[in-house]
Amino acid sequence: MAARPRPSTDEAREALREAMARLAAGDQAALEEIYRATRVKLFGICLRILGDRKEAEDALQDVYVNLWQRADRYDPSRASPIAWLAAFARNRAIDRLRTGKVRGGAVPVEEAAPLADESPLADALLVDAEQTAQIHKCLGTLDARTQGHIRAAFFEGKTYAQLADAANVPLGTMKSWIRRGLQRLRACLEASEAA
Amino acid sequence: MSAPDDTGPEVQRDDPMIAAEWALGLLEGEELLAARGKYATDPAFAWRKEWWDDWFAPLSDAMPGAEPGDHVWDGIAARVAAQQAAAEAPTADGAAGANVVALEARVRLWQRVAGLSSIAAAALLAWMALAPSQTPVTPEPAELLAVTEPMVAIVPIGDSGLRLDVTYIPGSDRLVVAALGLTADGVHDHELWLTPKDDGPRQSLGVVKPGEVRSMVLPATVTAQLGRGAGLVLTREPIGGKPEGKEAGPVVASGSFKEV
Repeated sequence: MAARPRPSTDEAREALREAMARLAAGDQAALEEIYRATRVKLFGICLRILGDRKEAEDALQDVYVNLWQRADRYDPSRASPIAWLAAFARNRAIDRLRTGKVRGGAVPVEEAAPLADESPLADALLVDAEQTAQIHKCLGTLDARTQGHIRAAFFEGKTYAQLADAANVPLGTMKSWIRRGLQRLRACLEASEAA
Repeated sequence: MSAPDDTGPEVQRDDPMIAAEWALGLLEGEELLAARGKYATDPAFAWRKEWWDDWFAPLSDAMPGAEPGDHVWDGIAARVAAQQAAAEAPTADGAAGANVVALEARVRLWQRVAGLSSIAAAALLAWMALAPSQTPVTPEPAELLAVTEPMVAIVPIGDSGLRLDVTYIPGSDRLVVAALGLTADGVHDHELWLTPKDDGPRQSLGVVKPGEVRSMVLPATVTAQLGRGAGLVLTREPIGGKPEGKEAGPVVASGSFKEV
């Protein structure tokens, strides 16, 4: 087992996991608890992808209402709850971009409201440290250009076409760069799982 | 800068690759819809999509947190409360109180047993309590509760967390289709089809209205085919539904009716 950076990480993760289980069992109060603990992180994700505060707030509402309706989808044996919620929120934000609800896509983030002092578990709710190190390590084995495009897709919600435009290369070229990168990434991640 | 990796054979675009592209957010349009459909029907593909989601998730630690406005929680709480209130008190009319309590208990039971969403349960309850066509005179609770147990079909839409809840009460001629949470993409409609128990030809139940709960009246030829095991499929069609004389579009989701 990797050393945990600090004890509050485990506690926060357990508290969240337990709240998710209660929500799945129909305890509505658990939703507010989950919201208090995760809103800063998930809003940061929605804001980064959507680039617009109003859109991001609408997306965030959808994330939690959807979570309340479908709390049973979280499988505690699979992912840390915050990792799962982060992917859930990002997927919803990307869906919003792709279904044409948002015109224009990600633009520079406008004034993000300052964090409240209580900083609701934001620091404690980082995704598993070992897993974090591994994905960064595997991304680091890719050439800088491919890495940059994969990061732009993840962080800015760019499509192949947008990436190709930005890099001024044909669409097919961008697709094969990224696919080659994803193939290497998969091999590296699988090797780490087997180790 | 290390040398770009330009050489080597073209990468094969197999399912795990498509799952990776989807997890990264690269898919759009038709391909995105196809991936969602595959997620619903192909466990290996669904597993791989979640595998990539899990691996990519730590990258989000690099996205700075931000504090949403206070109204966001108020909005969430209000939407949750509204959905629950709809399920618990479909009418403010005190005279209907006894019926409502009895119905509420019944609908909650269905909801628990069938995993029927709160929205669908609320719609069903509102319809049963209020629909004049079903209950022309002020109904006695016993009369309402004599309604046969409903049949429910849940049709998940990919990994979107969205689904159709389709409810049918045997002996009635009505179907309630809840498509809340779905959004129109402006290019396609989705058409719902009944696959009869006897494997006969599919029968159209019409185009699904994204974001709405609809109660539809079915002809007797269709209700005759409804029963346990009758299937539902959702196909992707041009706006307006399947064009006359053309084959139906690809199936993007499916489910089947179960007795509650």
